[in-house]
Amino acid sequence: MPERNRDESVEHVLRRVLSQEVRESPQGACLDGETLAAWTEGSLRADEAAVVERHVADCGRCRSLMAAFIQTTPPAPAVESVWHRWRLGWVVPLATAATAAALWIALPGNNAMPVSVPSIQEVNTAPVGQTSRDAAPPAAPSTSPESFTRSSAPQERVAVNAGNELRKRANQSAARLEELSDERAAADAALLQRVEADKRESAPSAASPSPARADAATAGAATAGAAPRPLTSARQANLPLEIVAPGGAARWRITNGQRVEWSTAGATDWSPATITSSDTLTGGSASSASVCWVVGQRGAVYVTTDGTRFVRLPFPEMADLVSVIAIDDRSAMVSAADGRSWRTADQGLTWSMR
Amino acid sequence: MATICDRAQIIMEWMQDWQLPPAVVDRLHRQARADRWAVSVASFTAALERSARKAFATQPDPRELERHLTSLHLEDLALACACANGHEAAWEHFVREHRPVLYKAADAIDPTGGSRELADSLYGELFGLVERKGERRSLFEYFHGRSSLSTWLRAVLAQRHVDRVRSTRRFEPLPAEDAVNVAQPPERQPRAAGYVQLMQRTVTAAVARLAPKDRLRLGFYYSQDLTLAQIGRALGEHEATVSRNLARARREIRADVERQLRDDAHMNPSQIDECFAAVVEDVGPLDIADLLGTGGPRKGSEEKRSKERAEGASA
Repeated sequence: MPERNRDESVEHVLRRVLSQEVRESPQGACLDGETLAAWTEGSLRADEAAVVERHVADCGRCRSLMAAFIQTTPPAPAVESVWHRWRLGWVVPLATAATAAALWIALPGNNAMPVSVPSIQEVNTAPVGQTSRDAAPPAAPSTSPESFTRSSAPQERVAVNAGNELRKRANQSAARLEELSDERAAADAALLQRVEADKRESAPSAASPSPARADAATAGAATAGAAPRPLTSARQANLPLEIVAPGGAARWRITNGQRVEWSTAGATDWSPATITSSDTLTGGSASSASVCWVVGQRGAVYVTTDGTRFVRLPFPEMADLVSVIAIDDRSAMVSAADGRSWRTADQGLTWSMR
Repeated sequence: MATICDRAQIIMEWMQDWQLPPAVVDRLHRQARADRWAVSVASFTAALERSARKAFATQPDPRELERHLTSLHLEDLALACACANGHEAAWEHFVREHRPVLYKAADAIDPTGGSRELADSLYGELFGLVERKGERRSLFEYFHGRSSLSTWLRAVLAQRHVDRVRSTRRFEPLPAEDAVNVAQPPERQPRAAGYVQLMQRTVTAAVARLAPKDRLRLGFYYSQDLTLAQIGRALGEHEATVSRNLARARREIRADVERQLRDDAHMNPSQIDECFAAVVEDVGPLDIADLLGTGGPRKGSEEKRSKERAEGASA
C-alpha cells in the first residue's frame, strides 16, 4: 500500500478517534473565561500555561470552548513589508544614489571611496519622530556647488551635474511627499531625512552635527560590534520596526505599534508573538535568538526569553520609553523620550537611573 | 484529614496576612488612571488582591507579586472596578467601547443570531442584576486583569455558548435504532471490522504518546475542524508552522501504528496493508448532525480546509 494511502487511513481514523474523545472529558478543572483569555494572550506563567495545555489537549469541553473562542477572534490584518510597498520602491535606489552623489561631491579627489548604502536595519533605526509635514526640508550641502564649477577637472563637472540632478530629483520627491497625507508618508520622510543626514555628515564642512545625528551616533557607538542594535522611537507606528538578533538567527518586528511578530526563517515566515500592550511600542533590542526586549509608552517594558511570549516587567515611572539596549535576559538599559535612562540587572525587579 | 486542615489553615493565614505594598498600589492606581472613574485606592486594592489570590496558590515572593501586578491590564481593571461599583460614566464608556465587540463575537459564534441572547444576558450579569445575600454582584468582580477586558468578554461569551450547547445535547434523544443500523454496512466482514477496531486502538495509543501541543493541534484540526489559520491564532503560530507540525504528528502516528501492528500484533506486511485499507473502506457510524445539516461550523470550514490541504500538498 502506498505511503500516501496509509496517511489517508491515519487521517480517517484520527477524525473518528478524536471526535469520540470529545464526548469524554478528563477529570480536573476545566478552563474558566479568565484563564482562557489570559492563555490566549500569553499572560499566564510558564507553569500555568503548561497545565492549561495539558488539560485542553485531552478535554473535549475545553477544546470546544477554545474553538468557539477562536471563532470570535478577528483575523490579524495582513502586514505588508515596508520594503514591498510601491511607494518606497523608488526610495531605496534614490537614497543610494543621493548618498553616492553627496560623497562624490564632497570628496572629488577620492573616486575610489566606498559608498555607504543605508541597510534596512539602518533605515529602521532612523528617527521618525517627525511627520512629512513638519519634517525639515532637505538641507543644502554645506559646500556650495559653485565652488566645484570652478574646478577644471571634467569628471568633477560631470559629478556636479549628476549631483544637481539627483538633488533636483530629491527635491521633487520631497515635494511629492508633502502631498502624501497618509501615515506611510511619515516613513518616507524619515528615510529622506536619513539620506540628507548622511549627506550632511559626509560633507567636509559639516563640522557640527545636528542633535538628532549626535543621538544616532551615540546609539551607534553604544551598540557597535557584536552588541545588539537598539531601535529608536517610531511613533509613526505603521512603519514596522525590525529587531535582529546577533548573527541574524532570529528577528522580531513591531507592527502598528502594538503587535510583535517573530521569525527564525530569515524574515520570510513571520509568526505572531504573544504580547498584550495597550501602550504603543516604540523600540526593541535582542541579545540572542530567544531573548528580546521591547519598550513603549507609559513605562512599558516587555521581555521574552523563548522568542515568542513577552512578559511585562515592572517599571518605576510612567515615562515614554523610546529605546532599549538588551544585554542578556536579565540586564538591559532603557531610555526615555526626555533623555533619562535606567538600567536593570535582574529582569526589571529593580531599576537604577543613570 | 490533618493535611486538609493544615492546608486550610495556611490559606487562611495567608489571606489574613495578605497586604499589598502601599507604594506599589499607589503607583498602579495612577498607572491605571483609576481617578477617571472615581475608583478609590481601597477599591482598587481589593481588586488587585483578588487578582493576586487567583493567580497564586500560596503567598508569593514580594517581587514575583509585584511583577504579576504590574503585568495586569490595569486600565481595564480600573474600568471593571468602576462598572462593578455602579459608576455611570464608566458603564457608558464600557457599553460604547465593548458592546460592539461583544455583539460581533456573538454573531461570529452563531451567525443565525442565537448568541445575541447570550450576549444580552451577559450584560445583565455585568451590570449586576444578580443579587446574592441582598448584595448586587456584578460579573466584573471575576475580571482580574490578566487579559484585556475585550478578550475576557469574548472568552466568557464562548464559555456560555459551549455550556449551553452541551446542556442542550444532554436532553437530545438518542438516534433511533434504525439509524444506527444504517451505519453498519450489511456486507461488512468480521475480519475487516476487527482490523478497524485494531486501527482505532493503535491510533488512540499513538495519539496519547504525542506531546500535549501536538494532541491539541490534532484535536483542533480533526475534532473541531478549525482551519490552519485559526489554529495558528490560538497557539501563536504561523499557519505554515501549524501545517508542518500537523504533518509531522501524522507521520509519527503512522510510524507508531505500523510499529504496533508489526511488533505487538505480530502482523506481516500484507496484513498491515489490509488494516490500513480496511479503515478507508469502512464508512463508520453515520454522523446524525451531518445528515440533518446541523453540523455547525464543520461543514462550512470543510471546503476551506480542503483548499488548505491542497495548498499544503502543493507546497
